[in-house]
Amino acid sequence: MSQLSALSDAELVQRCRAGNTDAWNELVERFSRYVYAVCTRGFRLNEEDAEDVFQEVFTRVFTHLDTLRNDAALRPWIAQLTRRLCLDTIQKGGREQATAEPLAEDLASDLEVIDEAFTVREAMTTLSDACQDILDRFFARDQSYRTISDELDIPSGTIASRIARCLSKLRVELEGRSDPSDVSRE
Amino acid sequence: METEDYLDLRLDDFLDRLSAGGQAPGGGSAAALSVAFAAGLVAMVARCSRASWEDASGVAAQSLAIRERAAQLARTDADAWQEATAALHQAGGEGADKRRDFELEQKLRRAAAVPLEIAELGADAAALAALVGEYCEGAHRADAAAAAALAAGGASAAAHLVEVNLAVREGDETLLRARASEQAAADAAQRTLASVR
Repeated sequence: MSQLSALSDAELVQRCRAGNTDAWNELVERFSRYVYAVCTRGFRLNEEDAEDVFQEVFTRVFTHLDTLRNDAALRPWIAQLTRRLCLDTIQKGGREQATAEPLAEDLASDLEVIDEAFTVREAMTTLSDACQDILDRFFARDQSYRTISDELDIPSGTIASRIARCLSKLRVELEGRSDPSDVSRE
Repeated sequence: METEDYLDLRLDDFLDRLSAGGQAPGGGSAAALSVAFAAGLVAMVARCSRASWEDASGVAAQSLAIRERAAQLARTDADAWQEATAALHQAGGEGADKRRDFELEQKLRRAAAVPLEIAELGADAAALAALVGEYCEGAHRADAAAAAALAAGGASAAAHLVEVNLAVREGDETLLRARASEQAAADAAQRTLASVR
């Protein structure tokens, strides 16, 4: 894990404001998957529109970072920006909405899932490499206990307990997180 | 060729389909759902033991992941099996065709890969059942044993389906892994059942 990737969002924002290029790269790296997921899985934009929104989001982040009132609220700010730009794109494209209500419900649910996944991914970076690895193998790569045992050379009978303990640590990390909601004026 | 999503059916509707004369759902789907039932039971027992066992929530989360994967495989297995049997019928036609033979081999191998995955999930579900059987509150130990037995049954059925697949030969890695999973699940079930007798 690089030093920058260990920084909190607020610390990263401070470095970006100070003109640190590596910090900017880290910011884009940290949020690129999230922005893209909101565009494609949340708003179901096509690849071209998603790419346009993606560029516009980070351009605006770059030019308006000073308007962010609470540095810890970087993610909600980026989320708000992305949603607004996605909606603009849909309106400009004149995409038809046969039934607005279910789409809005689906959208809210999809965005919630994306937000949750991103929160978990962020929290996972605070765990040890061993915990990150074993959780990724079991929950993301769907590896069996036997495969994990063979590849990591640890007794098969201890894997479920190891995963359970890593999950407990992840839970503590997630429970300790606040929900910064004070977003920028932009 | 795709089957309908069994997870959208009412339980009695699914059982009607299982009992009907068609090809799918068949043994693979039933094995997958046995493993899913087992994993669901493990999650229930773990959740009921949270007050006295610190790993309970983490074990429940793993069980739910296994349950979800196994349940999805009920349909995947039916699809793979139908594709393989269709390819087999086609291959029964006139003349040799290397491309057709290759495609048939691929489809049969896919039809073996799914039950292998079910067998491995069965072994994992049985391992979790053994773990919850050891640490859960006494009132739930019988459910843990039932989960272990169901998981072992699912693993054994799935391993058998791997074994009879025409693309799988003695000594194949797929078969070795299926048998190892079957054995691991059976051992876990035996331990768990013995502990409640």
